[in-house]
Amino acid sequence: MRAIGKGSLASLLAVGLHFTRIILWIVVCALGIALVISPFAPMIADAFRDSDNIDIETGGGAFIAVAYPFVTAVVMLFVVNRLLEILKTLRFGSPFVKENADRFRAVGYALLLGEGAKFAFGFLSLVTRTDVDIDSNMIAWLAIIAVFVLAEVFHEGARMKEEQDLTV
Amino acid sequence: MGISVKLDRVLLDRGMSLTELSERVGVTIANLSILKTGKAKAIRFSTLEAICKELDCQPGDILFFDED
Repeated sequence: MRAIGKGSLASLLAVGLHFTRIILWIVVCALGIALVISPFAPMIADAFRDSDNIDIETGGGAFIAVAYPFVTAVVMLFVVNRLLEILKTLRFGSPFVKENADRFRAVGYALLLGEGAKFAFGFLSLVTRTDVDIDSNMIAWLAIIAVFVLAEVFHEGARMKEEQDLTV
Repeated sequence: MGISVKLDRVLLDRGMSLTELSERVGVTIANLSILKTGKAKAIRFSTLEAICKELDCQPGDILFFDED
């Protein structure tokens, strides 16, 4: 399989990431709206009190139940956007640029923020006794370390590329 | 501070243009400009050899070390 150009792995990845970005935008918008109306959950619950089929979480739990996936979706959207920018430089044939090292570093920090948010929301769900499915695993932490290593590799690669370009 | 390139001075002494040198040594004008303007990070021995051969000079006539 070709590295760049039509039918390459990079172009397939770009298509997949563009599709993921559209879905993530929809999810972020939907969760954003839910986040705004979540403080009014008790009032909504009162309105549907007579209905047996609707079970609405009230109190701080509703906010946490929406805020956690919202933060996760925003982090994912940020990462997808950075990966698309990196793939764009690959399409132009110069992936070893300083900007890509910065992008990988930003992805690392975003993933770190995502994992940190997991712990924060986990703690809040314990305090508010909300049933939010939060689990942290070693693979995620290893992936974060791998991204930071990749950022350093790209930083050094960009320096070497610049040196090569300026060698007469 | 560091190494500076005085290619323009040697070219002036020899009455040769950058384009002419480029054709003679087989290095692009863009690369010679990088060298002439001091933007180059490194110079290959083969390039230096070709330039010295065409300009009939020593590497020391082109490259200088500035302490300040």
